[in-house]
Amino acid sequence: MNSSKNFNLIVPAAADKAVYEERMPSVFMMDTEGTMRCVRSILGLNLDVFDNIYFTILRKHAERYDIDALLSLQFRRLGLDKVKIVILDEPTATQAETIVRTIKTENIDGAIFIKDADSYFKAEIYPENGVSVYPLEALELVDPRHKSYVAVDDMQHITNIIEKRIVSNLFSAGGYCFENVDDFMSIYDKLSDLGNIYLSHLIYALLLDGHLFRPVKVTDYQDCNI
Amino acid sequence: MEIIEVKGHSGCEIDVKREDKSLFVYKTTRDPGYFNRLVRQGKKQEQASHIELQHIRIPKIHEITRNEREVRLKMDYVYSRNFVEFFEQAGFEQVAYLIEALIMYLEYEISGSKNETVESLIVKDKFNDVKKKTLSNRYLAGDIEIAEIMERSEAIFNKLEDMEMPVGVCHGDLTFSNILFNGNNYYLIDFLDSFIESPLLDIVKLRQDTAWLWSQLMYTKPCDTIRLHIAFKKIDDEINAYFHEHYDWYRKLYNPLQLMNFLRILQYAHEPKVIDYLKHSINEQLEEF
Repeated sequence: MNSSKNFNLIVPAAADKAVYEERMPSVFMMDTEGTMRCVRSILGLNLDVFDNIYFTILRKHAERYDIDALLSLQFRRLGLDKVKIVILDEPTATQAETIVRTIKTENIDGAIFIKDADSYFKAEIYPENGVSVYPLEALELVDPRHKSYVAVDDMQHITNIIEKRIVSNLFSAGGYCFENVDDFMSIYDKLSDLGNIYLSHLIYALLLDGHLFRPVKVTDYQDCNI
Repeated sequence: MEIIEVKGHSGCEIDVKREDKSLFVYKTTRDPGYFNRLVRQGKKQEQASHIELQHIRIPKIHEITRNEREVRLKMDYVYSRNFVEFFEQAGFEQVAYLIEALIMYLEYEISGSKNETVESLIVKDKFNDVKKKTLSNRYLAGDIEIAEIMERSEAIFNKLEDMEMPVGVCHGDLTFSNILFNGNNYYLIDFLDSFIESPLLDIVKLRQDTAWLWSQLMYTKPCDTIRLHIAFKKIDDEINAYFHEHYDWYRKLYNPLQLMNFLRILQYAHEPKVIDYLKHSINEQLEEF
């Protein structure tokens, strides 16, 4: 591990749906403590390990619901001064594209940890290739069709990651670490013409190319969609 | 016990029957024009079924029966997954095993073949036959793009010289549709006679899928096409790099023989999506010359 390498946390919150014209995206709603879900999504992590934190949102959400102002207030309240709000003018087709545009806009280098805005967990995160995982049997309520699953070998290497097919008791908890942002960008460039690419596709392609990924076991997982 | 659905690709009838405690596949044709070909296929598969290679298996042929009404092959039934089911779940280790097994099988074919000079006239005659059938195919005749493809292809095949390549052992139709996946064992089925019995033609057929995604095009059920594409690209890169590094005949002859392979498919094409795909693929290949 290169300790001088930048370590960046990216939270893409730029999903666009027709219903968001009338209703604020649920990731920006607040819990009973007054914390927005997308902000809550990172509070189980040790944020000291990150050099930069980026929240990526859409301009139309910012303008319609004052999301950037609300986020800034939340971060100020939490004493998080290294968070930058990245505002995209146009919607993206996929979460991967949102991340790519964040990386390009902000000239991000080093390692990236991508955290889904709609889930919460506690975990120790290191700037190494990895996917956060949680065991299916530990959940009381679960919709198994909407998750991606991660197979791990005896050496604790990820051997497979699949969308919506249960090949393991471990599902992706919504955290993906790439130790070199260039690997992420390079594989995205190769596959971006193929259509709706999930992050699991990018990781699968990197696995086939010989990159090693570790499972990052998380605790206290909460899916905000349930 | 669930019996996996079996489909015929050649118009033959496929039945799975239980006899005592074993299952057998019966492949039958009642088309007299196909009798000799199915007999040759059966004999080819029977001969190939004796090979012993790690990961590669070939279902045993138990009987080849022929009478005036039909030709029928009886072979072992294999519990297996098709290529989409396999690739939708295969991790990097399974894909790596498959690549290794395919290269091993092709090397087995090469070691059992002899380097020979194949007259270019064989390919030129085949092209003339294909051209005639293509231009008389009512879905293709009168299509300017097809006429240009044939003209450009003819110029390429006219320049083709006699070819040095291994001749002797060949599956004949080594696409993913003809591979059954059972764990890390791969069962090769539907052997076919080839216009040149060369391992090179098997590499051509294999890359018809890995480079050009033919079997994926033919698969009509919903599947994760992106994942399949990623896996196929990986396999294609490895297969191409391996044979490119090791064999002069591959470097020289892959492109013209892949072009011929696609033209042979084109001559029978009638579905718009297939015609569009073939035109696009062949035009891309023509850019390689």
